[in-house]
Amino acid sequence: MDMDEEDFVFFGTPIEREEELTSRKKKAVAEASGHLRTLPSWKQEVRDEEGRRRLHGAFTGGFSAGYYNTVGSKEGWTPQSFTSSRKNRAEVKQQSILNFLDEDEKAELEGQSLGTSSQFDTFGFTAAEYARKQAEKEQQQRPSAIPGPVPDEILLPATESIGVKLLLKMGWRHGHSIKDLHANSQYDARREARKAFLAFSSDDAKAHCTKSETGEDYLGSVEQSINNDVQTSQSTPIFVLNPKQDMYGLGYDPYKHAPEFREKKRLRASDHRGPGNKKASLMRDGLFGFKSGKAAPGFGIGALEEYDAEDEDVYASAYDFEETFVQDQEVEEPPRPSTDHQPKLAWKEQGVLPGFRVASNSDYALERFDPPKIPKDFVPHHKFPGPLNADDKHTIPPPPEVLPPVDNNMKLLIEGVATLVARCGKLFEDLSREKNQSNPIFSFLNGGNGHDYYARKLWEERQKRNDQKNLALDGKLSTSVQTMTAETRGKILGERPLERSLKDFSSSVVSADVNLQFNLSDTFTKPASFGGLPAVEKPFKDDPAKQERFERFLKEKYQGGLRSIDYIGASNMSEAARAKERLDFEAAAEAIEKGKCNKESKFSTQQLEFSAGGGMQFTSAGLEQGKDAHAEDFMARKIYPKREEFQWRPLPVLCKRFDLIDPYMGKPPPPPRMRSKMDSLIFTSDSVKATKLEENVTANRDQVSLLQTDSQISKDVADGEKEVEVQVENVERPVDLYKAIFSDDSDDEIEAPTVNKGEDPEKKVEVAHTTLNRLIAGDFLESLGKELGLEVPPEVSYSMNKTRTSASKNESVIANAGNMNNLSVENMVSSTPNDYSLSARNKEVLYNQEGAEGTESQKNESIQGNPQGDSSRYVEPAPSDNRSGRTGFEKIAQEDRKVKSLPSRHRKRSSSSSDGERTRKSSRRHGYSSSYSYSDSSSDDQNRYHSRLKGRKKGSSREKSSSRKHSKHHKHRSRDSSGRSHFSTEKDRAESKREKRKWRD
Amino acid sequence: MSVSDLPRNESTVLRGHEGAVLAARFNGDGNYCLSCGKDRTIRLWNPHRGIHIKTYKSHGREVRDVHVTSDNSKLISCGGDRQIFYWDVATGRVIRKFRGHDSEVNAVKFNEYSSAVSAGYDQSLRAWDCRSHSTEPIQIIDTFSDSVMSVCLTKTEMIAGSVDGTVRTFDIRMGREIVDDLGQPVNCISMSNDGNCILASCLDSTLRLMDRSTGELLQEYKGHTCKSYKLDCCLTNTDAHVTGGSEDGYIYFWDLVDATAVSSFRAHASVSMELAFCILPLIAILELPPYIILPCPERLVRLL
Repeated sequence: MDMDEEDFVFFGTPIEREEELTSRKKKAVAEASGHLRTLPSWKQEVRDEEGRRRLHGAFTGGFSAGYYNTVGSKEGWTPQSFTSSRKNRAEVKQQSILNFLDEDEKAELEGQSLGTSSQFDTFGFTAAEYARKQAEKEQQQRPSAIPGPVPDEILLPATESIGVKLLLKMGWRHGHSIKDLHANSQYDARREARKAFLAFSSDDAKAHCTKSETGEDYLGSVEQSINNDVQTSQSTPIFVLNPKQDMYGLGYDPYKHAPEFREKKRLRASDHRGPGNKKASLMRDGLFGFKSGKAAPGFGIGALEEYDAEDEDVYASAYDFEETFVQDQEVEEPPRPSTDHQPKLAWKEQGVLPGFRVASNSDYALERFDPPKIPKDFVPHHKFPGPLNADDKHTIPPPPEVLPPVDNNMKLLIEGVATLVARCGKLFEDLSREKNQSNPIFSFLNGGNGHDYYARKLWEERQKRNDQKNLALDGKLSTSVQTMTAETRGKILGERPLERSLKDFSSSVVSADVNLQFNLSDTFTKPASFGGLPAVEKPFKDDPAKQERFERFLKEKYQGGLRSIDYIGASNMSEAARAKERLDFEAAAEAIEKGKCNKESKFSTQQLEFSAGGGMQFTSAGLEQGKDAHAEDFMARKIYPKREEFQWRPLPVLCKRFDLIDPYMGKPPPPPRMRSKMDSLIFTSDSVKATKLEENVTANRDQVSLLQTDSQISKDVADGEKEVEVQVENVERPVDLYKAIFSDDSDDEIEAPTVNKGEDPEKKVEVAHTTLNRLIAGDFLESLGKELGLEVPPEVSYSMNKTRTSASKNESVIANAGNMNNLSVENMVSSTPNDYSLSARNKEVLYNQEGAEGTESQKNESIQGNPQGDSSRYVEPAPSDNRSGRTGFEKIAQEDRKVKSLPSRHRKRSSSSSDGERTRKSSRRHGYSSSYSYSDSSSDDQNRYHSRLKGRKKGSSREKSSSRKHSKHHKHRSRDSSGRSHFSTEKDRAESKREKRKWRD
Repeated sequence: MSVSDLPRNESTVLRGHEGAVLAARFNGDGNYCLSCGKDRTIRLWNPHRGIHIKTYKSHGREVRDVHVTSDNSKLISCGGDRQIFYWDVATGRVIRKFRGHDSEVNAVKFNEYSSAVSAGYDQSLRAWDCRSHSTEPIQIIDTFSDSVMSVCLTKTEMIAGSVDGTVRTFDIRMGREIVDDLGQPVNCISMSNDGNCILASCLDSTLRLMDRSTGELLQEYKGHTCKSYKLDCCLTNTDAHVTGGSEDGYIYFWDLVDATAVSSFRAHASVSMELAFCILPLIAILELPPYIILPCPERLVRLL
């Protein structure tokens, strides 16, 4: 075959075989579909439909052209997607040529885009441009000797600007300079300098054009100066006659200030070299060459860059370079005269423009003022004119000792006011005097009845305070003399002194903390609440120091803001004593609260006396029970009605419909409501479920493997912490718990405390509640511990768990702690006054909590039954006592279950709605609609209605009782014996169940 | 008004309802009265002549409250079907139905510009615009934490009592909400004729009279039983007496100031649900009838 082919001669193109062609096509298709897709885009090749590689031109990318073988942009030919929304309307895009032009092209176009019309262009820019364009067009049309467009510089059409026209009218003629013909040489030199500057700063052809047109005199003068020609010059624009042929930088003229050398060189060039023309033209290259010498060699500076005074000394060294350069080039040239040299230097130094002289006397002189003279007798230490805090009061002779007024209330009042005045300064006195001007009780402020006693008391209080302060100051000074603490600074500035204990001298770290805390709390709190604090309350009047502490405590408690972690107490008190005192304070504060509500002095004093005795009385159950019912009734009556006021925003439409003016017109919408942590805490369900399971697991584990108690314990502790964390994390799940709370009615019958029923909704509620309780209990115990500055003493808590009868005191610990917590929450609430629902819900929480605490204190094991509640408790069982620990744990497990079921009941009862309400709710779900709906069989209907109503009645009564119970718990949590309450609730429960069943039938 | 002037005897019995009557209301001038009840109807009566004028049927469930505009041209009613019906009095046609409450609607009132405010079991108060064609509420107030039982309107305020124990005043002009927590579920509220006080019937068998401006508790009226039913209460036209129903079928009158029960009589065989005083000073007091609306067995409105 080969042989044959060699032999033959072929003409024409052979017809390709069909298969080959198709196979290649197939291959192309396959590659296009499969192969290409796998390759990264920059490796893909463009092939035509025949499967051949397409070759682009070398300058357009060779084989891989454009943007990764696509068109030349990232977007390519991908059609623009049309998106248009109501907010963001797609605008109609008018494409113009500017979208497709490069920067330089745009710059080129600019002449067309905007300019003055030819009639109004003073300098003839637009006209010149237009003429040039016109000429270009003509040029293209007609054949010419020089192919291609002629440079603008060469062929400039003659146009007359308005300025030229004006000049012409004034008698000027083309080719004549405006200047005086017989100008002196100095004038010439100056002009030259100016021209040089102009030339340098003129950066484009247009400028040149203008110059060549408007400044013909200038060009003429150039000619004149260079060539020493006749003064008359061409009226037509000058052509660039001397192309740049030298090696100098653009616009550089070595002969600028020495034109004689230019001539010389030209002559020499014409002498030495044959073609003298060239040199001659070279000699003329100074057309744009007038400039200051120093910028000449410009390394970094562009030739067309603006000539700034700043730039000059950047190239300070250029001067020398220029000189050497010039001398290198022109060896024959004699050194420049020093007269030329000198002014240049001067320019360089002072930045004076060529042609300008430095003024001999300058207007600008730096003014300097002398510092103010310090008087000789000045002592750099400020003395305050006013009394800071009754520092000078020492000098005042003490008022005589006066017998207190007969009226005990009066006495208390006076004492209270005196204390406050001593603490808050004179201002408080003035204020209260002003406020209570008409009040006869406060007449002692104005020198009325009891004034003497008041004065005496005030003095005493001040004395006391001063002593204390001095003591504190002394202590401070001894520790750190130089450093000025916040306290001292505050004192100097006359701020209200922060109550500090002696305790913080012991450790500076703690004191710093306390300082911060107090400052913060001071900033957060409103003084009004403090002012509102009744002055009458002096439960510890027998012990003034204690009373003071108590007041401090009260202030701290009601003022709100941040709670101080460190509790202020006397340094000499032991931890236990301080804790005890704290409890006393809590009790007293509560009593005072009550008393305030009562408003009746008789009752309040009674209460006060009751609480004045301290913790012992408070814990004795018999005494409490005696007071209980009475006080409670009184409370209930006096607390209500409470009035609160919130901002509420009626919608504009509503205002319109009520024909009122919108009070919030034009104001921005209110911010979303704040939710407190407590608020959201109650709505945890998922995490609760988890913890429930976990809890069971841990309980089981405890039972099984109790031998390694230590590790187990630690694990438990860890678990507890983990649980708490989980709780906190999953805080915001409002819906499920609602469901859990309100949808469980059908499961009420399954009341028996089963062991492991993780999914039971009833359980869910229980768990929710127990965990909540535990969380709260743990939290407040922890916080209490922190506040007391100690770990919650394990012995105490343990004994609390163990001892049933004598636990009352410890219960009061819990109770008080709970109370404290409540108060803090209430503070929180009051800090967000707008949110009523929040407060309501918080209240709800409080109730629950209290109920739970009631239970807890009733069942002493209950706290123990919450294994994860407080870790410190778990450190307690000694590892050696495995047996007892085991039983304990078993008991815990049992109790835990019990407790879980118990609080749930409480929860139910005390949930936001009353029980009756709840039953209604449930019946609404199950049979309310039918019962309330009308049916034709009247008797049936009637029955149903009646039964329903009865149920309602029951519910409400029950609710009442329960609510009463709650209020009892609220005040005296540990009153009821556990068994009784348990039974009663059980009974109630059974009743309600029966009730519900009845309706459902 | 002396004690002897207080109504004591039954003057008329309005018969016609086929189910328990849940509410009875006078119109503005006291010439007509409306009653509604479990038979899903609203009936218009002339109580003085004892004539049944018209029946309005459209509700799907029991009708719990009805109110009439001051020009007697429109009715508004609400009930267990979660809807609020806006009626034309003359034709008896429903002009509009407002849906939006998530559960039963306990009370509804017109304001003087024929907007309506309804109080629902869904713990909300809703304002409706009867003039526009929109059936959406103008505003929803859901700060209550329990069922809202009763609502009163003044020119600038909306006052509502709720089972959560609060009486809340929404002052539209001032843009504020005043919450008076009574501590007991509030069943019904009623304004004194001078507009200065609120009488609230609480579920602890107590009527409480509150000063509106200060929130002070002025007086408590006890003696009756009201623990689970919605029983109306109101003040007489001269504000001299307070009256309220009792669950045992009695109607009580108290002296406003010293809270002594000046009069009580058995008006119904069983629970008296509702009573209403006409608010019109023109009519002599003897003609001012507290209507006692009876539950199922009697199915009638008694004019006393």
